Amino acid sequence: MSDQGAAGPGETGTLEPWEVFRREKEGDPMRHGGSVMAPDAQLAIHYARELYGRRQESVALWVVRRADVHELEDPDLLQPPLDRSFKKPGGHVMRDKLAAARERSGQPKPKAREG
Amino acid sequence: MNAERTGDTANLDPTARLALGELLLSMADDEFVIGFSDSEWTGIAPLLEEDVAMSSLAQDEIGHAKALYELLAGLLDDGHDADAIAYDREPPDYRHCRLLDHPRGDWADTIARRFLYDTADAVRLEAVASASWAPLAELVGKIRREERYHVMHVGAWLERLALAGGEARVRLEDALERLAPDAATVFAPLRDEAALVAGGILAAPMNDLEARWRTMIGPTFERLRLTPPPPATEPERGRLDHTAAFEWLHSEFTSVRRLDPAATW
Repeated sequence: MSDQGAAGPGETGTLEPWEVFRREKEGDPMRHGGSVMAPDAQLAIHYARELYGRRQESVALWVVRRADVHELEDPDLLQPPLDRSFKKPGGHVMRDKLAAARERSGQPKPKAREG
Repeated sequence: MNAERTGDTANLDPTARLALGELLLSMADDEFVIGFSDSEWTGIAPLLEEDVAMSSLAQDEIGHAKALYELLAGLLDDGHDADAIAYDREPPDYRHCRLLDHPRGDWADTIARRFLYDTADAVRLEAVASASWAPLAELVGKIRREERYHVMHVGAWLERLALAGGEARVRLEDALERLAPDAATVFAPLRDEAALVAGGILAAPMNDLEARWRTMIGPTFERLRLTPPPPATEPERGRLDHTAAFEWLHSEFTSVRRLDPAATW
């Protein structure tokens, strides 16, 4: 946390939500921790520290104004109706299809190579 | 000249030893009283997040007081533990400074008091950070890491109240008018403090520390167009003569202890 904070006192003094991400230990990814209400970045950082860091449970925090988060929540884009499982990193799940093919052909499952 | 840093007090002459006890008691009582005063905001602070923050700061101060009382108990070694020192004295025997004798007041009072005290405390802590008595130097090293955040937090609030204009600014100015004349009592001279300076426990006399503090806070007061604290009246009585407001606070923080002083918690 910088001594100056990311910004000076808020112009309006209006409270708004800030999203807090925390890193639990070195090497971990940032994970969403929760949110705080604050009038500006400086106090948001103070409150994030109090709510998500004062028990030594975090080694780093990111504090982001919720209004600055670009949200995507469109089911046509995120949950398309057709099967697109082949686009997953693991591709099609072949195990069941392979087992059925072996059964039909009568071939046993090859042993795993030794070593 | 600094004596070799050691946890042994045998190399302190009896005067320096007594003065060290006075220093520890004044620091511990300051932290204890401001911690209890600020804990009164729990549940009623201006917003939920600030409620958590102020309560956490109050806990920090009481934690610092506990550690200082424990050092003092070890130094005195007269059968009184930290709790006995913290709770079993009558109000006139507490040695916190007059700045902390004011009633809690409104949020502006709390911010003004915290700013004046935390900045002064930071200067005092720096002056004992290299104390020749190792237990104090070690503890103060840890305390300073937490107090750094306290100064940032209260500085952020002072700035907001000062720059907000309107009622916030008026209330802050009123609070400073009430509290600032007592601010320098954090540096009220201690009995035999010359022995602490000579013994390498305190880096400089309290008068010098007060001057350092004024240099430190001057730019903030100037930038925010606030009147800097005047000199304290009767500085030699700056840690004596407590007020009715403190007597009330004392009755609060001793109320559970008084039910059964021998109880094990």
